[in-house]
Amino acid sequence: MRSVAIERRPVPPRWFTVAVPIVAVLCAALIAAGFLALGGYDPIEVYRTMLETAFGSRFAITETLVQATPLILTGLAAALAFRLQLWNIGGEGQLYLGAVVSSGLAFALGDSLPAAPAIGLLLIAGAVGGGLYALLAGVPRAVWGTDEIVLTLMFNFVALNLINYLVFGSSSAWRDPVTSSFPQGRFLPEVFDLPHLLDRLDIGVLVGVGAGIIGWWALRRTRWGFEFQVIGDSRGAARYAGLNIRRKIIQTFFLSGALAGLAGAVLVAGPLGSFEPRGLTIGLGFSGILVAAIARFNLLAVLPTAVFVAGVTVSGPELQSIGVPAPAVVMVQGTILLFVAAGEFFTTYRFKRVARQGVEKHEEAVAV
Amino acid sequence: MHIACNVAKMAESTSESAVEAGPQAATGVISATDGRPHGSPLAAEMASISKSFYGTMAIDAVDFDLRWGEVHALLGENGAGKTSLCSVLAGLYRPDDGEVSVDGQPVSFSSPRDALAAGVGMVYQEFRLVESFTVAENVALGDPTAAIRLRRRRLERKVADLAKSFGIDVHPGRRVGQLSVGERQRVEILKLLHRDVRILILDEPTAVLTPQESDDLLRTLRQMADEGRAIVIISHKLGEIQSVSDRITVLRDGRRVGQVDTATSDRRSLARLMIGREFQLPERRDTGRSRKPGLSVRDLRAHSDDGTEALRGVSFELARGEILGVAGVAGNGQRELAETIAGVRAATGGEIVMAEQSLDVTNLPVVDRTDLGLAYVPDDRKGVGVSPGLPIADNLVLKSYVHPPFSRGPLLATREVNAHAQTLTERFDIRGVRSGMPVRLLSGGNLQKVVLAREISGQPKILVASYPTRGLDLGAVAAVRSILLEQAQAGTGILLMSEDLDELLALSDRLIVLYGGRVVGEFDAHEVDVDHIGLLMAGHDADEASA
Repeated sequence: MRSVAIERRPVPPRWFTVAVPIVAVLCAALIAAGFLALGGYDPIEVYRTMLETAFGSRFAITETLVQATPLILTGLAAALAFRLQLWNIGGEGQLYLGAVVSSGLAFALGDSLPAAPAIGLLLIAGAVGGGLYALLAGVPRAVWGTDEIVLTLMFNFVALNLINYLVFGSSSAWRDPVTSSFPQGRFLPEVFDLPHLLDRLDIGVLVGVGAGIIGWWALRRTRWGFEFQVIGDSRGAARYAGLNIRRKIIQTFFLSGALAGLAGAVLVAGPLGSFEPRGLTIGLGFSGILVAAIARFNLLAVLPTAVFVAGVTVSGPELQSIGVPAPAVVMVQGTILLFVAAGEFFTTYRFKRVARQGVEKHEEAVAV
Repeated sequence: MHIACNVAKMAESTSESAVEAGPQAATGVISATDGRPHGSPLAAEMASISKSFYGTMAIDAVDFDLRWGEVHALLGENGAGKTSLCSVLAGLYRPDDGEVSVDGQPVSFSSPRDALAAGVGMVYQEFRLVESFTVAENVALGDPTAAIRLRRRRLERKVADLAKSFGIDVHPGRRVGQLSVGERQRVEILKLLHRDVRILILDEPTAVLTPQESDDLLRTLRQMADEGRAIVIISHKLGEIQSVSDRITVLRDGRRVGQVDTATSDRRSLARLMIGREFQLPERRDTGRSRKPGLSVRDLRAHSDDGTEALRGVSFELARGEILGVAGVAGNGQRELAETIAGVRAATGGEIVMAEQSLDVTNLPVVDRTDLGLAYVPDDRKGVGVSPGLPIADNLVLKSYVHPPFSRGPLLATREVNAHAQTLTERFDIRGVRSGMPVRLLSGGNLQKVVLAREISGQPKILVASYPTRGLDLGAVAAVRSILLEQAQAGTGILLMSEDLDELLALSDRLIVLYGGRVVGEFDAHEVDVDHIGLLMAGHDADEASA
């Protein structure tokens, strides 16, 4: 009797990392096409529209990049923490706090500074806000070994309610004082508007790409990065080499939160232009985890991955305009992302037909 | 070696010339001492058995036969296929090819349960016991004939009787979690005897035992064979194999390279069969006594992971260029001693002094100790000794990356790191390296060379080596031993922990024995009494031992 076993690939071949996602997208498109056809929609038309809306024109591309910018930053946030085996799923809340602190600073400063230092301060404030918020979970994790998953997750709700309170539940500085009938977030002073590169695309994307490249380089080429990699790979070896694990955990939580916080800052000073809850609380922190997972927690790979994820999701409104209902759109998008994420499994593992065995114990095989 | 001779003596004195009687008992076909007649003179026969894992042949067309009433030893290096062959017989693996028959009947086991039903059982190196259950409950576990209601008293009595009839010392009512390794092994054996197993396979049973426990076990095995059962014992300890077995099958690289009667075998030719060349322990050099002081450890105390006191005042001196062996059964404070000296574990009392600088390092962090010339080869290679997912180059600078030339300011000098790896790979003959490859893909021996290369390349004054040859094949063992000897020659003081007494005797200048977190004996390696050491290792106090 034969059955199928799963084994880890010793070293995944290099071409796999490119081939697997492509095959995954094609498979997803095939399956989703079946569903679309069942619903009476022309799958070719749907895919053509998706491609066109995402990458079909200059405007499409800049719009995709606008959507990708916060995903790059939250993706980096998740990838960095996960690389150190810290399961920070609080990117969402850290993004909110980055938005709260950076816009708070903007409201406090008003027009008192010229644009360049103002924007610099805004970004720093966003990073510090998100970073400190992450430390609320990070310090207990480092000092007492508290479960960071629970803490970071719960702090997302605290942050969400803080935003709702600031705009809907109080007459705080974050609420737009002009419209009193229906509450909305206050607009930032004009000096804080991020300069635009092309159409709606602003320098926020440079912040994201810069962070990704610097982070990727720093992990490979600096002493800090070396220590980071050892601690992320093996706590036992790190302790043996005398590395300060606790300090690295705290630093990493801060940096991870800071990246998510930056996403909040570039949102309020970029495409939103205001501290607008409806634009902020759309799950960008959680999507960042998806981005990081598809990128296999490689900081450089986060950049194209975020663009891809944004490209898949950006076409929603356009598809609805050609008659595909919103649930069907989400289904198509979900299928594609699911397949790409699942495809990663095949880069790391492979199936093998084997003779059926009792208790599996492949000592001899492992020795290979 | 000494231990082994010992067993032979005992076997002779207790069960009337057991070793010689073995083969005869085997030829007397119906030696039904356990109450039932055998259908065939052969307890088991395996013909042309092959088994591969992921494309690698673990065993390749191996023939094996086992007679009733014999102890049959399987000898071979790590990875020679001993365990795989036995796992086929015990129903754990299905062979890719070949025939198995038990007591003359062809069989095809699809699980260990089938094998047990046919009277074949195996004691694995990792025990399969439920720690929160009592001995008796563990013995009864999985017994298909057991009644639904557990009758504890009766069960315990039954297990006690069974144990007594084989001279096995256990308390049926104790929880397995409280038992020592040796006791747990006895429970595993009882489990099989309870299921009426007539072919008993043991995978390296003495690896975890004290010399005395080993003697007891081997005596029990001999008794079971004399009563008509068939015993297979996997080992790579030549001495004990010669003392207990009737026949020996030697495996190498998955093939059977020889089968001999123990009575006509000699160690040298067995070793040659096993490794394919002459094997010898490196000569112990006789260095003078004029050594510089290296490390002083005084009244050192430390806790184990579970907070109990693991070191209760350990003191010793280690000179530069000296190898000080630490004998003892695992779990008597060796790990804590090594870790405390290395700085990975906090001392709760006492002091550790680097004698040359006369500097108390007891409370210094690891990094400072490394800079002072203290190196450490931990017992857990993959979990501690290396960062398994990182490439070899990174692992070779795991402790020196902070210093030039491997880093300049905050930056890592990648080129120097890689060049360093190149040099050490060649110097220490580390094989199987591809650039960028995670180090976990190396074999155990090469992995150990990576650890040794890193620790030694820092020109340490003191090296703590914790079980440096454990789990390695003989070729790698020889390489590691000669690296250690060379390093001692170069002036490094080495604290060597090992579970292999022969190795300690061959390499060390002096020996200390650790028991219960204390040094219970100190010997010059030239004039040791192995029996005495064995008794000390087993916890007899010094007076009793010398009496």
